[in-house]
Amino acid sequence: MTGLLAQQESGRVDMVALRADRRGRMFAAMEAHGLDALVLGRPANITFASGARQLWTAGARPFGPGCLVLAATGQVHLLSVWDEGIPPEIPHANLFGLKWNPVNLLTEIAAIPGVRTTRRVGTDSFGPGFEHFLAGFAPEAELVDATAAMTDARRSKSADEVALIERAIAIAETALTAMEDAAEPGASERDLLRAYLASIAQQGCTTPPTEGIVCATPRSGPVVLRRLPSERRLGPGQLVALNPGALYAGYEGGVGRTIGVEGVSPAASDLAARCRDALDSVIDRCRVGARGADLRTEGADVLIYGLGLGAEPPLIGSGGGADAELVGGMVLSVQAWAGREGTGGVLLRDVVHVVDGTPRVLSRYRSTLV
Amino acid sequence: MAGEGVVTVDGRPIPEAPDLPRMHRDRMDRLQEQLAAQELAGLVLLWPSAVSYATGAHSPGADSGRAGLFRPVAVVVAGDAAPHLFTPYPEGAPPGLPADHLHPPAFPDLADGAAALAAALAELVPKGRVAIDELPHPLRAALAGRDLVPAASVMAPVKLRKTADELACIRVAQRCNELAMCDVMPLLRPGVRQTELSSVFLDRLYELGDVSNGIDPIWQPMPQCIAAGPWTTHGDVAFPTGSTGEVLRHGDVIWCDTGIHYEGYASDFGRTWLVGADPTPRQLSQYRRWQEVTDSVLAVCKPGATALDLDRAAIATNGGKKPWIEHFYLSHGVGTDSAEMPLIGTDLGEAFDEQQVLAPGMILVLEPVIWEDGYGGYRAEDIYTVTDDGWASLSDFPYDPFTRGDAA
Repeated sequence: MTGLLAQQESGRVDMVALRADRRGRMFAAMEAHGLDALVLGRPANITFASGARQLWTAGARPFGPGCLVLAATGQVHLLSVWDEGIPPEIPHANLFGLKWNPVNLLTEIAAIPGVRTTRRVGTDSFGPGFEHFLAGFAPEAELVDATAAMTDARRSKSADEVALIERAIAIAETALTAMEDAAEPGASERDLLRAYLASIAQQGCTTPPTEGIVCATPRSGPVVLRRLPSERRLGPGQLVALNPGALYAGYEGGVGRTIGVEGVSPAASDLAARCRDALDSVIDRCRVGARGADLRTEGADVLIYGLGLGAEPPLIGSGGGADAELVGGMVLSVQAWAGREGTGGVLLRDVVHVVDGTPRVLSRYRSTLV
Repeated sequence: MAGEGVVTVDGRPIPEAPDLPRMHRDRMDRLQEQLAAQELAGLVLLWPSAVSYATGAHSPGADSGRAGLFRPVAVVVAGDAAPHLFTPYPEGAPPGLPADHLHPPAFPDLADGAAALAAALAELVPKGRVAIDELPHPLRAALAGRDLVPAASVMAPVKLRKTADELACIRVAQRCNELAMCDVMPLLRPGVRQTELSSVFLDRLYELGDVSNGIDPIWQPMPQCIAAGPWTTHGDVAFPTGSTGEVLRHGDVIWCDTGIHYEGYASDFGRTWLVGADPTPRQLSQYRRWQEVTDSVLAVCKPGATALDLDRAAIATNGGKKPWIEHFYLSHGVGTDSAEMPLIGTDLGEAFDEQQVLAPGMILVLEPVIWEDGYGGYRAEDIYTVTDDGWASLSDFPYDPFTRGDAA
């Protein structure tokens, strides 16, 4: 049973040391970017800064002050009514309560020791009017963009972070097996989504990185990759893209393969081989210093994004990211998609660790279409 | 009596199934009305609940980081009958959206994506004041020089009172949520893990139809005394804390809380359950007190009443003590957000509540909490709407095991 381990690793990885390492990287990035304070609202940034286990809700969260980090005191302050799921290095005095009245929230934040004298405050997002809120607790402060500082702190993973990502990948691989088992003629895309959700939940991880994990591709007409599982039913000979992910102790892993329902035609095998070659050639180029523009290929549509505490920059593909540069220690989701009218579509995805020299492929799953 | 017979909201009965094209048109009319009244040239929306309201677009349920990076964006141009949708999920666009209003994804959280969105906005809304809900820094830089104001001034009034179709969506969401909980209840025996309950809930939920989970399900064993923890900032009860693989034990008092989405609209399910045990007389009395508080609030619930009237009714019935948790409320609204206005009984204060006047189509998710320190407590929540002459319930789930065998 991985249930008890799912949200808070307690075995192979020393979470106390991992959190200390993350805080060290965060404070170093603050210093490098000249930031006195951080105001964080993105859940992944809050997890990185605090290690708190937050209540998971689907979808992007609106920006608001969920966590404050002060360089002068070295303290992390957190919006949390209770200490459940809060690491012991964050004392009760550093927790501030949930308020619906912005004036009351302002009062709580203004009372944080050292906050009123900050001069350069970085935020991870912004909304019109937030400068007035900031002026209420840090009247002298200039409000600046902390996106680059948080990216610097987060993008290169420690060995322990990579170990957690590998655990997440293993959970996704298990779910992929469950999805394969469920992919019988007559089953719908949503049936496969159910098999996926049941598998990750049985492994103790109830929250999916995304539900966009299955696409039954058409045998005739235009072939596009859809990410909203529907009631479409699987038919014999159809190519079905399976692309599960999982979150383990906050870290994301995944793997993508395409299967043929009851057999694979020579044309499908050929398409799959082309897609695999394209993916392998891109993976081989995922090296330190490579730029987004270097990571294209003729044979397939490529989508690359960072993995860590969920999906993160860089984002390469979908028309963007040509200038994005790979740095050592990044972990990337690297996906190739190839569609052909009359055959269907093939999606393949692996998770790649950018290291000195040959990239390390962290995901492991057999070829399903050869 | 209020709550019975044919109920109407602004003269319209609540349909069994929502008329989605009509709902999309009504919502766009409301948005345009606000843009005109506030002399705004356009509206740019990044928050999922706002994009869903303005466009009716579907996107896959996702973790916040993924959902942010791959977020759909809506642009509403003053005077235009259809919204513009920038989305990574074109298959989720509503059927009626004109082809020239469907755009490639915008990626406003990244420098190149933000520049592209700013360029698109310059074409769609060349000049004038624009309301926007969030400005990730790259977009803030790309839109420097534009006259931007918070979108809340538009979104808050349009979302406050639901149309009959919106109410139908909420009722469908709640029904699916309740049906999935029916499969969970029998599993509540000693030794079951929280994550097993979640697994069964999700499996049944996704079998039921085109719905999506909104929150990692809560199955929180409650202490008898607050002092037993978790520690809280205000000294009141800690709730809701997240689920883990915790094993539930005989006699545990479980406060469950789940929420799902249908056509963008959220449900909200809350009950007190017991693991493998029948309620004690003390627990039964807590439930009865909860029911009395709920009844007393509904008794004053009708158009024209203020939120403060509801607060006062609840407090009077509870012997002068506020029957809700310090960091929450007596009641909240639900819509494309799982908690939205009207918020009743919050730290916004009595004067604020006195200005909130109930009107048809407003949603009240009543969630009183009866707590007797040393003996635990009872919590449940149900969704009501204010109707033309009273209220109607959008929830339909028993209070077992507290009412088992009762004629009620």
